[in-house]
Amino acid sequence: MEIVIDIDDTVPPFAQLIAQIKNAVLNDALHPGDALPSIRQLAGDLELNHKTVAKAYRFLERDSVIQTKGYRGTFIHPQARANSAVDLNAWVMTKLNKTIATFRDAGVTDSEIRIAFGNVMNNRSNTGA
Amino acid sequence: METWANNLFYIIFLGQIFLTSYYFPEKILARMRYVLATYPPSTHPRLYPKPAEYYKTGQATFRLANRIILVLGLVILFAIVFVVDHSSFADDGYISEAWPVVYGMIQFLPLVYLEFSEFNQFKLMRQTNSATSRKAELRPRRLFDFISPSLFGLAVILYLTAVGLDLYLHQFVMNWGQNLWLTGGMLFFAVIGGIKVYGRKSNPHQSNLDRARETTAALLSLTYLSITISIFYMFLSVDNVYNLDYLDAILMSVYFQAIVLLSIGQLLRNLKLKDINFDVYKDDAVAA
Repeated sequence: MEIVIDIDDTVPPFAQLIAQIKNAVLNDALHPGDALPSIRQLAGDLELNHKTVAKAYRFLERDSVIQTKGYRGTFIHPQARANSAVDLNAWVMTKLNKTIATFRDAGVTDSEIRIAFGNVMNNRSNTGA
Repeated sequence: METWANNLFYIIFLGQIFLTSYYFPEKILARMRYVLATYPPSTHPRLYPKPAEYYKTGQATFRLANRIILVLGLVILFAIVFVVDHSSFADDGYISEAWPVVYGMIQFLPLVYLEFSEFNQFKLMRQTNSATSRKAELRPRRLFDFISPSLFGLAVILYLTAVGLDLYLHQFVMNWGQNLWLTGGMLFFAVIGGIKVYGRKSNPHQSNLDRARETTAALLSLTYLSITISIFYMFLSVDNVYNLDYLDAILMSVYFQAIVLLSIGQLLRNLKLKDINFDVYKDDAVAA
């Protein structure tokens, strides 16, 4: 299976990598247990920085789409197909939209929401993230 | 030197002269000319980061260098046969192995020039590559995807045997010079092989299939070379212990020819032009 990255695309290369690997799993081009190239190999072939590919692999591992087995390499996760359908970004957006709507209904202004959000993200509030 | 060994050396050295400075250079030049004529800059601009004249000059330089070295080889052979007093070169009076070794190194110079030219060519191709789309195979490359484990194992066993045999013949006293050269050579091959399998793509337009084919050819060549060098070192060990000095020059000449056959010969045989995808060098080609 081939992966294609367009460096002029508005979508960053690491996100293109994630999307294509997930699509390949969903389209049965990649199966659980299939070996993936090492970060160094893929970065070399795509002429990308190692950190870009490492970032994509890190996110895919977090989403349980791939798993790293030490020196043996990186493989497609047994539950990759189910996990590839999950879009964490979309889930975060849905949750945030609902939360913000609740705040607005309660009369909290956008400015107050932004400040509170900033505080939480910067770990400055008592509840801290 | 014994007469039969003398005569045999003349024939073998003549083979070295023609094989490395005429036969293979002509084959390489024929390929260059074919590529330039069949896939010209007008239709395959990505293959030529410099004007066509630059490549024609390079071909002419390569041809001239080989012709000069060919003539030099014939002059050396004439001198070895009719002029040189061999006892003045080597104490034992045998034809010195320095003749085929030094001449062999001179013969390799145009090939080194070719290697550097190729390196520069790929560098220029990468610099002028304006494609924003990049492709890669989403599967790991492993050594044994390109070469059989048994052949690789044979090369390792022969290397260990060469070192072991040398130790045995010298009552287990390490012959550092010879074994370091042998080990250094093997490490060099390992590094080159590693770069071929795991390294970055040097030609930015090359298709994945062509790259795999090239890697296979290179690894086969390196493995055969490693096997040949191990066998050669075994001969050297035996030669040193049993005083077969009159065979030194013959052995060296055969060794140099084997290196050329297994490196250039092997690559030319395995990388056929008709199998290479030249469409990737067209102007409207999608990046490989």
